[in-house]
Amino acid sequence: MGASLPPKEANLFKLIVKSYETKQYKKGLKAADAILKKFPDHGETLSMKGLTLNCMDRKSEAYELVRQGLKNDLKSHVCWHVFGLLYRSDREYREAIKCYRNALKIDPDNIEILRDLSLLQAQMRDLSGFVETRQQLLTLKPNHRMNWIGFSVAHHLNSNASKAVEILEAYEGTLEDDYPPENERCEHGEMLLYKISLLEECGLLESALEELRKKESKIVDKLEYKEQEVSLLVKLGRLEEGEVLYQALLSMNPDNYRYYEGLQKCVGLYSVNGQYSPDEIDRLDSLYKSLGQQYKWSSAVKRIPLDFLQGDKFRAAADNYIRPLLTKGVPSLFSDLSSLYNHPGKADILEQLILELEHSIRPAGQYPGRVEKEPPSTLMWTLFLLAQHYDRRGQYEVALSKIDEAIEHTPTVIDLYSVKSRILKHAGDFAAAAAFADEARCMDLADRYVNSECVKRMLQADQVALAEKTAVLFTKDGDQHNNLHDMQCMYELASGESYFRQGDLGRALKKFLAVEKHYADITEDQFDFHSYCLRKMTLRTYVEMLKFQDRLHSHVYFEKAAAGAIRCYIKLHDSPPKSTTEEDDEMSKLLPSQKKKMRQKQRKAEARAKKEAEEKNEELNAGGASKSGKRHVKPVDPDPHGEKLLQVEDPLSEATKYLKLLQKNSPDSLETHLLAFECYTRRNKILLALQAVKRLLKLDAEHPDSHRCLIKLFHKVGSMNAPVTDGEKLIWSVLEAERSTISQLHEKSLVEANNAFLENHKDSLMHKAAFAEILSILDLNRKSEAVKLVEESTNNFVPSNGALGPIREWTLKDCIAVHKLLGTILHDQDAALRWKSRCAEYFPYSTYFEGSCSSVSPNSVYSQLSKNSEHESSNHSTGSQNAGPIKSNGKLDAFKDLTI
Amino acid sequence: MVCIRKATVDDLLAMQACNLFCLPENYQMKYYLYHILSWPQLLYVAEDYNGRIVGYVLAKMEEETSECHGHITSLAVLRTHRKLGLATKLMTAAQNAMEQVFGAEYVSLHVRKSNRAAFNLYTETLGYKIHDVEAKYYADGEDAYDMRKQLKGKQ
Repeated sequence: MGASLPPKEANLFKLIVKSYETKQYKKGLKAADAILKKFPDHGETLSMKGLTLNCMDRKSEAYELVRQGLKNDLKSHVCWHVFGLLYRSDREYREAIKCYRNALKIDPDNIEILRDLSLLQAQMRDLSGFVETRQQLLTLKPNHRMNWIGFSVAHHLNSNASKAVEILEAYEGTLEDDYPPENERCEHGEMLLYKISLLEECGLLESALEELRKKESKIVDKLEYKEQEVSLLVKLGRLEEGEVLYQALLSMNPDNYRYYEGLQKCVGLYSVNGQYSPDEIDRLDSLYKSLGQQYKWSSAVKRIPLDFLQGDKFRAAADNYIRPLLTKGVPSLFSDLSSLYNHPGKADILEQLILELEHSIRPAGQYPGRVEKEPPSTLMWTLFLLAQHYDRRGQYEVALSKIDEAIEHTPTVIDLYSVKSRILKHAGDFAAAAAFADEARCMDLADRYVNSECVKRMLQADQVALAEKTAVLFTKDGDQHNNLHDMQCMYELASGESYFRQGDLGRALKKFLAVEKHYADITEDQFDFHSYCLRKMTLRTYVEMLKFQDRLHSHVYFEKAAAGAIRCYIKLHDSPPKSTTEEDDEMSKLLPSQKKKMRQKQRKAEARAKKEAEEKNEELNAGGASKSGKRHVKPVDPDPHGEKLLQVEDPLSEATKYLKLLQKNSPDSLETHLLAFECYTRRNKILLALQAVKRLLKLDAEHPDSHRCLIKLFHKVGSMNAPVTDGEKLIWSVLEAERSTISQLHEKSLVEANNAFLENHKDSLMHKAAFAEILSILDLNRKSEAVKLVEESTNNFVPSNGALGPIREWTLKDCIAVHKLLGTILHDQDAALRWKSRCAEYFPYSTYFEGSCSSVSPNSVYSQLSKNSEHESSNHSTGSQNAGPIKSNGKLDAFKDLTI
Repeated sequence: MVCIRKATVDDLLAMQACNLFCLPENYQMKYYLYHILSWPQLLYVAEDYNGRIVGYVLAKMEEETSECHGHITSLAVLRTHRKLGLATKLMTAAQNAMEQVFGAEYVSLHVRKSNRAAFNLYTETLGYKIHDVEAKYYADGEDAYDMRKQLKGKQ
């Protein structure tokens, strides 16, 4: 490095490199300038100066200098290496790899460059390249532990676990017998556990177990030792030994469900779907009774039997389980029991059981058959449980009456308001739900949980501005900047969805893309660990982390955000930006003078916002640069409302980017293929649309949306012009061949296929709706028939022996979908109105249907809400959550005399 | 009712979500990765019957100081899941691992002066003692108690 320079400058060059490594960029810059004064064309110095500037956020200068440096000294590995580092810093890994490769052509054994290259190969999952580079590193420096480990891990990742074991064994061969010294015991133990897990992966179970036991004294992590041992024993079928070990693990942690599951497997009493024969149930029952004796404090041991017990035994066990938890006042009791509602008959038993408790406690203050008095709170927690029970069953009126009674009993318990809020949300009154969540929030302003829940409800009620004000109460960092947009996937998703509902596509997109960015950052986060973990030896966790990263984008938040973004782009394609259409609509309602004023106002506001953003940016740049050139604060967003995002030229091609991620990472979700269908039909990519339909049919052929897409596709095909070009002819022949393989369309016209679909799903509202929609598409003249068919559907009672009130089949969500079908797809406003008033009866709390008990109805107890929400922003307390008196959003008064 | 088990990398996103929902001190995913890739033994989660993460403990070893000790970085339990003893179970699990795997002498943590509920848990249930007060430890200017608990029965 710097070889071509005289001694003084060569030393200065070393100083640049050192300053770069120690992040003393200013010093480095000074040294570089000193060299360049004498040798203005020195390539390596120019490069290093560029690299230093890059760290000081002077990107464009950096690229210019680095390019110039390389141009002046194409034969320098330093210049190529620096160029690679620059690309790496901008996450342009493919380009960076190319640069490193060029550097290595000049200096093939450069350890530093090889190491950097290996990191990029791990990051990009260029696994064969990774193996090669790690091999080279080991060959060059075989006395480094890290190089052995790196070579082994590389082979493991490249699907060659047995080679990985060989390398580790060769490495062990280089160690003394008394290895490791005290300070490396943890690392060495981790390495041994990694090797054993590799043997297990190779299917060499015996050797794995043998090696594990042989090295017992060198494995520091005793818990992991036992877990590994039991896993091997079970796989080897040595179940009796496994049983003993699981018992030992349980005595260490009797709250780990996996140990119970393992124990059940060892004694031959495990079934994946939870179905057991009566004999098995008896044996399980006695197993858990004896475990209950041993682990008196374990709650798992009491809860698990509720899953397999049936009938009277279930009832007795549930009774025993519930009573002490009600006495203690455990708020999560309902959520703990909720999975039992999927077991046939258990919900009814629970209902009877809890009602019996209620009927005994309310008058007598004691449980049935007991003489001890219960504390007064037991009644409240019983009502609390009942309210959630009826909520789950869709009997919102009863649920609300129970929760109101509980609130009247003890008005100071926050959980009651949270649950009331949740019931109102399920019942379809989002505004009232938000108001009660806000009340809960105001009861403990220092508790972020109630704050977060309130924010969630506000977003569901489309009160985005208020939600943001509420959320930032907890997101202030030292300089009082709010960091609401760091890491807050949940918030961003929910507000994106709200903006989408409100038709603000710019802001919606902004939020959805922010979530996508978080995931890109997480992918990036792994970079530093490629070298870190080789040193730390946490190899099992490292490999687990790489697998996690490989499927990161299948996570539900990402899935939702990507789907949201795609929907925005589709809408953007269908109705291009507002400047031409929507805005004019709004404007046309105004008088010309008003219009002019409004335009002026808008322009002014825009100019002001732009100026402020620029000023703030400059301020930050200046302030940040003083601190060793590293900026700590993010620049101000130049497009806070996502207006620029709306100006995308081809929304569908943007959508396709995210669609591809969904197709790759969420192939089992109907949603993915529905969106694919929507995108590809709009882009006239018929074969890709067909592929989406086939996926839908494979996932759920009977789903109304699968049916819709299938018929729509072939209807579209039928209406296309006859093929002319060879390409078109080819597509047609594929379509024809495919059509004959789809059983739904086999020897049927589309109308017949639609009829057959209805025939198979006569009793389902949503299937009928799909049929009706398709009917009207296939034959415009039959629209009124379609409407009639939907309207004639009956909302039957669900067969149940519930003790209180009947339950109907239809859900609020489905009824809203049908309303939209009638109004916006079948365009029958009268029918939509009739549907609305009919559903208002079924869902009296629904604001969508303007039910009589909902907050939009003037007769409702919640009606005060909608009036208050107009003033909500002015009443909202924006100060610190610890300061000042408790302040609500001014809605409390509306609920003072609130009972049903 | 709730399963207490060691966290895996796959739990980290849910742990971060849980943290964001309940606590004012939040961390980038990289910080969670750093913990689990350094001390995989010290992260525990509480998973409810529906598979949801309702609590976690995030802990680390302080390796720079002379006396080997552990530190609790973050502990959270959803408000809906209190009264189940989850915080105690999570803490106990992490403390045991610190002692057993890393031979920690003691474990330290910070708590807001105003957080009485947490303070009581640490002092009364878990046996922590105030070691020091750190002025303005939190971003909003609040002081923290620096608390410690001896391990290895040295208390």
